Amino acid sequence: MKKDSRQTMLHLEDVWKIYQMGEVEVPALRGVNVEIKKGDFIAIIGASGSGKSTMMNLIGCLDMPTRGKISLKGKDISLLSESELSSFRGRTIGFIFQQYNLIPSMTAFQNVLLPLEFLEVDDKKATEQAKKILDLVGLSDKFNSLPSQLSGGQQQRVSIARSLVADPEIILADEPTGALDSVTGREILDMLQRLWKDEGKTIILVTHDLKLADYAHTTIELMDGKIIRTHKKVIK
Amino acid sequence: MKLIKCFKHAFNMVVHSKLRSWLTIIGIVIGVAAVIAIVSLGEGMQSQMNSQLNALGGDLLTITAGYSRGGGMWGGGRGRDGGGGAVATEDEIVLDRSDLQALRGISDILMMDTQIRDSVEVSFLGKKGTVSLTGVDQKVWSQITTLTIRDGRFLDSADQNVVVIGARLADTYFDQPLGINKMITIEGSSFRVVGVLDDSSTTIYMPLQMAYQILDDKDNDVYDSIIVKVKDENNLDESIAKIENKLMMIRHVTAKDRDFSISSNKQMSEQRAEMMSSMSMFLLAIAAVSLIVGAVGIANTMFTSVIEKTKEIGIMKAIGAKNRDILLIFLLNAALIGLVGGLIGAFFGGLLSGALPTLMGGTPFARGGTFVSLNSVVMALSVSMLVGVVAGAIPAYQGSKLKPVDALRYE
Repeated sequence: MKKDSRQTMLHLEDVWKIYQMGEVEVPALRGVNVEIKKGDFIAIIGASGSGKSTMMNLIGCLDMPTRGKISLKGKDISLLSESELSSFRGRTIGFIFQQYNLIPSMTAFQNVLLPLEFLEVDDKKATEQAKKILDLVGLSDKFNSLPSQLSGGQQQRVSIARSLVADPEIILADEPTGALDSVTGREILDMLQRLWKDEGKTIILVTHDLKLADYAHTTIELMDGKIIRTHKKVIK
Repeated sequence: MKLIKCFKHAFNMVVHSKLRSWLTIIGIVIGVAAVIAIVSLGEGMQSQMNSQLNALGGDLLTITAGYSRGGGMWGGGRGRDGGGGAVATEDEIVLDRSDLQALRGISDILMMDTQIRDSVEVSFLGKKGTVSLTGVDQKVWSQITTLTIRDGRFLDSADQNVVVIGARLADTYFDQPLGINKMITIEGSSFRVVGVLDDSSTTIYMPLQMAYQILDDKDNDVYDSIIVKVKDENNLDESIAKIENKLMMIRHVTAKDRDFSISSNKQMSEQRAEMMSSMSMFLLAIAAVSLIVGAVGIANTMFTSVIEKTKEIGIMKAIGAKNRDILLIFLLNAALIGLVGGLIGAFFGGLLSGALPTLMGGTPFARGGTFVSLNSVVMALSVSMLVGVVAGAIPAYQGSKLKPVDALRYE
């Protein structure tokens, strides 16, 4: 196999995550090694309890490993302060959650604008960008709707818009179609695939659904906190 | 996140806040309203006190017989022979002609008015009543008194069977108004009204010699009080000392067993002001307690709010919020709750203080009216905001320290 010259986005080296449940130590991840390169479309699959949620939290830099090292774009995240990590994460990773996780008191537009506000992007630029992205996901007419006034598919598109607005290199989607019907779910996945193909985003998809994993070119299967199989599709 | 954006989100939180937040705000409203109303009452009192002090005549001293720190009329049990023909009982301590003579020798004194006072039966057109009568030295009274005439004139040195009366006696005390030149019966004798004072009393003023005739139990040349007007108000304390020394000498008493009192209007006003201000401090303390209760309410609401918004905090952190951003948003939210409460409270406090004089009737406390100063409003607003920030500090800090992964998992 020839050497892959693409930039390494995320590198998990012998990562362990052990939860303390009273007296008992419960290992959720046991020595996981993953290297994710720029432009990858990776699906992490596994049954519930396999450790994929833990893995997703670690990949998203939302949590710290008990042991091992996680590097985001070459930086060891354990060396960053909480605030530095927040900013770094905000710029680098866009999150799409199963439950959309929009702020209920904010309109679609305000929700999409929020990451740019945290990154202190100039107001005019931020407004333009948020509008552009909402147009891109086909919600030009829903700017001022509250999440409660939107359908599930629309809410998920708002959340995709929010994940894209800061132009991150990685999109991390956690069961993005879990709460949607199959047609809407397919639309969302098509959208993710377009982002991967056309925009060159690195996509990480966490799911229990093997059919969804088909969209990805690499599938990592977890069981009992260990990677049991890595399957690469042949890219034409 | 820029401060202005944090403020925007904090404001948004207040706007979208639930009934619970508004209940919290009510707590602050009550506290601030109470503080403003009480402070305004205090300031009204203060300004009244000042104008009163000017009107009272700071250059006047009142000398009375008897001395007691408790303020009673009859001091030590030392008897004294009445000089100058006064017939005093063995035990009675009085002011009489010899005291007056002694005071005449003090150069600091501009003039003196001798007065006696008692209550008398009066009747006018069949209506009877009991009012206070003051006999005054009509030669100096008009120059020494701080009272002013509304109708007619003051007493004249040639006057005999005439009186000057308080406005309330003239206007409303009897069924019919008792005006100038009307005749009033006092203890069976008829007197003509020559002047009505510009005040709200029922007191009757008449020439001293007439008063001795009317009041059976008052002896000639024995005075209830001597009003002294000093030449220089700025040397009041010195003048008081001189008068004290002279009187102690003539009355054969020492500072230990002195049997007379000198009070100055200035001192009295100051004492009263002091009493009033400690009273208003006390009320202010009570109002402050309600502010503290309000602060506890804010803290409570903020804790609940942080718990309620745990998931939102997680989302915000996932999409790039720093700890500082979360801290600021929640702190500003608490400050805003305080500020909104403060604003509404200031409004109601203003209304309340407007209504207070009426509500409290004629109590001396409210006689000065109220005065809501910009100062007290600004103070109340900053205090309520500060209260919000202090109360919100711990919840906001806890919220900012939440780990994104835990916060996101929270349902």
